[in-house]
Amino acid sequence: MTMGKFLIRRLLQGIFVIWGVITIMFGLRAVSPGDPATLMLGEGATQELIEHVREQEGLNEPIYVQYFDYLQGMVVGDFGYSWISNREVEAMVIERIPATVELAVAATVVAIVIAIPLGVISATRRNESADYGATLFSLLGISTPNFWLGLMLILILGVWAGIFPTGRRPVGFAEAVMTLVQHGSLYDLGIWLQYITLPALTLGTYFTALITRLTRSGMVDELGKPYVTASRAKGLPSVLVRYKHVLRNTMIPIITVLGLQMGTLLGGAVITETVFNWPGLGLRLIDALNARDWPLMQGIVVFIAIAFVSINIIVDSLYTYLNPQVREE
Amino acid sequence: MISDRVKSNLKQTFSESLLPKLGLLLLVSIVFMAIFAPVLATHDPTRTGHYSDQGTAYPPLGQDLTTQIAQDGDIVEVTVEPTSEHILGTNNVGQDVYSRFLYGARVSLIVGLLGTSMALAIGVPFGLVAGYYGGRVDDAMMRIADIMLAFPALVLALALIGVFGQTPIQVPDPIVLAGLADGMPESIPIPGMVTLVVALVTWVWFARVARGEALSIRNEEYVKAAKSFGTSDRTILLKHVLPNSLTPIIVLATIQVAVIILLEASLAYLGFSGTTLSWGYEIERGQDYLRTRPWISMLPGIGIVLAVISVNLLGDWFRDALDPNIEGEGR
Repeated sequence: MTMGKFLIRRLLQGIFVIWGVITIMFGLRAVSPGDPATLMLGEGATQELIEHVREQEGLNEPIYVQYFDYLQGMVVGDFGYSWISNREVEAMVIERIPATVELAVAATVVAIVIAIPLGVISATRRNESADYGATLFSLLGISTPNFWLGLMLILILGVWAGIFPTGRRPVGFAEAVMTLVQHGSLYDLGIWLQYITLPALTLGTYFTALITRLTRSGMVDELGKPYVTASRAKGLPSVLVRYKHVLRNTMIPIITVLGLQMGTLLGGAVITETVFNWPGLGLRLIDALNARDWPLMQGIVVFIAIAFVSINIIVDSLYTYLNPQVREE
Repeated sequence: MISDRVKSNLKQTFSESLLPKLGLLLLVSIVFMAIFAPVLATHDPTRTGHYSDQGTAYPPLGQDLTTQIAQDGDIVEVTVEPTSEHILGTNNVGQDVYSRFLYGARVSLIVGLLGTSMALAIGVPFGLVAGYYGGRVDDAMMRIADIMLAFPALVLALALIGVFGQTPIQVPDPIVLAGLADGMPESIPIPGMVTLVVALVTWVWFARVARGEALSIRNEEYVKAAKSFGTSDRTILLKHVLPNSLTPIIVLATIQVAVIILLEASLAYLGFSGTTLSWGYEIERGQDYLRTRPWISMLPGIGIVLAVISVNLLGDWFRDALDPNIEGEGR
């Protein structure tokens, strides 16, 4: 299959998946208890007003008409209005994207920076104390609920040691960069870094543990292959063999797993943002859920699904591009 | 079903490493703790307030309780530090932290085991059918699986709870009914809806693994032979395909118990627990008192970590012994 055909097929699959997500969310809203008009207006609203809103919002239309209206809106990027704040859902989603992306990227950076060296050390010194340490760490990492880890980090590094601030962050990355550009001051960037450290560690720990395990098992497999022995026999330095050849071959499956686990990262972000009062999409989703604000909930979930599907298409394409064997099939 | 080779692999891995033994020991302890929670507990875990003359006095913290106490005119301590009566202190509404810790194990284990069983019951038949028939059937069914995978599990679970609600089922406590523990609650709340929801968001991983197995098994000689005798698809699926797919499914199921325990804890932390006896709920409750009374959140977190570690250790053991090529989903 050529690359172009492959991409088109993946894109079509992606569109189908997103349609499915939109449909499921619409279905859930349709069967969820509670009258939307009453939710929108609050308890004490008059019957007349409720009826007016029902008419205006198309809630008196048959369900399939409502569905097609909704689907049509989604296609052109109109996600409707929040029932609680009456603002456009797109705007409410978009303004929260940067904080979540910053957190997800920071967590991934933490994970890669810690996990790959740890996995390599673990694999090359098998059954030594460094390996046991790394194994124990990764076991703890995949077994600790991240909200509890976040609270303990706040308690130990924030409250007791006083190293990191624990409140809501005063400045976002974009604003911090603006300060740097306009005033040549790194001050805001420093503040931003201080505030993102604990959330990034919290969200990144599970991934760190996962990548450490994958790197270790992948490297152990690769190190046993004949080409490693052959390269060493040729006199290549073992460091070169280890990092240039073995690690590179190990990375391909790791990238795929990371792509698949992006959903987990975004789900983890919901919890992490709640713990740290981090102004991202996850926190907004929880707010929307507690208020039963369905249009906002749907908007956020559909957005997350689009992000997840896009990341996976990119990862798959990279994988196909990097690995000629897959490309040929 | 489970071949002798598999059994001997399991035995060998178990005797060679310390970790499976540790996992088994931990899990047995937690199961024991969960079953005999009413016997081991020192206080009714749901009883609020504390009328003791021991311990350090704190200003009452639970708001509803404070009002009630003020009307009664009694002077009461609501939160206490660890003392001889409350060996691990009390939470913000005066409930015994140690007793709640024991009862929390019940919620985690029940949701973990029941949720995984339900996910198995949905995912395995789905995957086997898709893989066995292949072609268009497989395509259509796997596209459904793709849609499920596009939702982060936690997010879909939250949306489903929004629809189903989270009312728990009250089940009589056999230990209390047997007269082993006086003064403990006679029924325990089982978060039935939450259990169903965690199964509905995790079954797809079983479907994927079962499908992969069925895809390869359907081309085996014995399946072809059975087909040529005119054996029905149903019989082939139940008698040949299912038994031969069991090994990786068991490995995945073990990992999924850990995943589901974490998922339940996360839901409970966010306030969608179905029962206030959940460890995750208790962590959330202690969050506001982290600076002054950190023990409220600490202990239930340790409970979750130990429970999940024990299951993960067993999962690693099974995987090392049986099948190295499975990765479950995380949080």
